[in-house]
Amino acid sequence: MVGLSVGEKHFIQGGIAQDLRSDGRKRLTYRPISVETGVLAQANGSARVKLGGTDVIASVKAELGRPNHLYPDKGKVSIYVDCSPTAAPMFEGRGGEELSAELSAALQRCLLGGRSGAGAGINLSALIVVEGKMCWDLYIDGLVVSSDGNLLDALGAAIKAALSNTGIPKVNVAVGASADEEPEVDISDEEFLQFDTSGVPVIVTLTKVGRHYIADATLEEESQMSSALSVSVDRHGHICGMMKRGGAGLDPSVILDMISVSKHVSDQLIAKLDSEISAAEVDEAES
Amino acid sequence: MEFVSPEGLRLDGRRPMEMRQIRGEVGAVSKADGSAIFEMGNTKVIAAVYGPREVQNRGQQMSDQALVRCEYSMANFSTGDRMRKPKGDRRSIEISLVIRQTMEACIMTHLMPRSQIDIFVQVLQADGGTRSACINAATLALADAGIPMRDLVTSCSAGYLNSTPLLDLNYIEDSAGGPDVTVGILSKLDKVTLLQMDAKLPMDIFENVMQLAVEGCKAIANYIREVLLENTKQLEHRRGI
Repeated sequence: MVGLSVGEKHFIQGGIAQDLRSDGRKRLTYRPISVETGVLAQANGSARVKLGGTDVIASVKAELGRPNHLYPDKGKVSIYVDCSPTAAPMFEGRGGEELSAELSAALQRCLLGGRSGAGAGINLSALIVVEGKMCWDLYIDGLVVSSDGNLLDALGAAIKAALSNTGIPKVNVAVGASADEEPEVDISDEEFLQFDTSGVPVIVTLTKVGRHYIADATLEEESQMSSALSVSVDRHGHICGMMKRGGAGLDPSVILDMISVSKHVSDQLIAKLDSEISAAEVDEAES
Repeated sequence: MEFVSPEGLRLDGRRPMEMRQIRGEVGAVSKADGSAIFEMGNTKVIAAVYGPREVQNRGQQMSDQALVRCEYSMANFSTGDRMRKPKGDRRSIEISLVIRQTMEACIMTHLMPRSQIDIFVQVLQADGGTRSACINAATLALADAGIPMRDLVTSCSAGYLNSTPLLDLNYIEDSAGGPDVTVGILSKLDKVTLLQMDAKLPMDIFENVMQLAVEGCKAIANYIREVLLENTKQLEHRRGI
């Protein structure tokens, strides 16, 4: 855990109150973000995102599977996060499991919408190969390599970048198979379908320290938080998911205020992320 | 199956005595005391070192030397097919132990009594030779953390398929069922600290295969030394010396 003296705690809190944080940022400024795509050769899509000292990798793997019988026209997407012990010695053994489960649940809530897939950032109908019989299962894995606070936003950004990097092989279904037979398919190695990732939201976490709230908190700042609100916002400014963490209660009016601020912050984040992702893809294509 | 073509080329186009492309980089994890990324072909691992620091479990504290601990973990996406294994399966525990023993042999533990050094290795991509790649990454990370070591330990594997000794097996060659010799050496002292082999091999051929692996280790040691030297030069430059 972060060991801070009383003086350091006062310094962090005082800085936030004066809108000048320990690293020189304002309350709602993000740390520099850098994106690298296509980092894993074995995945369908992958990305590595660095947000200051936080470093995460996301990979997307696609496998053919059967759709859920309740939703025969939709593919399946699952998100798992793993906290590597390289990020902090306390993640050793089973130590990271609690945080991993919390982050996985939060990301599923923020990116995948409801159980039926309504409101998901990814168009699940695009994953169907044969309705009711065969679909793509997307496995999204996040790995926290280095942790310096604000893991959720970094993971959200990495998943967004990995999805835009993902190519799903084109599947040709043999025609003429009868309704109850398993469809015969031919998976192409050359043609890949890209996703439309414009609808994938970004996650903005506002952390409340003292009387103010800040964006993109570092590990030291997170240790001083009373509560935090994570809001996922898409390009149109719609809220796709929300989660409050931390023990202290929040006044409902403060929550509404935080949501409108996060909407404002997300505009800048989406613009920054889009330009970083396209720059990373150009880099990848050149190398 | 044919692993070496009549022209003397392997499945991935290498010559029998050729190593995969290696790449090492120091300082991959900003929060750790020392860290490194090491790649051997498609195998890619990250190592992070925390310590020397206070021993967390007082019962394990040793009054005459440092406690070295190691944990090896594989990312879910590291293998070709996505796996979902529970943490701490037998294979990981065995590899953790091997890495710990190998690194313990080179760290000057007597200089840091009552302290603890944690080495964490994380496999991002597995394509054969993860054991070797982890040891090489751990060496780089330990050097980055400034932990006193007797020498650089490096590791490399070699095998024997189609009556040819092959250096640095990849996953396909590794799973062919032939002998796989993993060697770890202290390059300057010229001492073997790790030796593992499965399957069987005649004595005289084993000598050749092991010699090949040792050559590989030495080549890696030279490379690691270059990386460290380059890193030190850059640090020097930044301090304006």
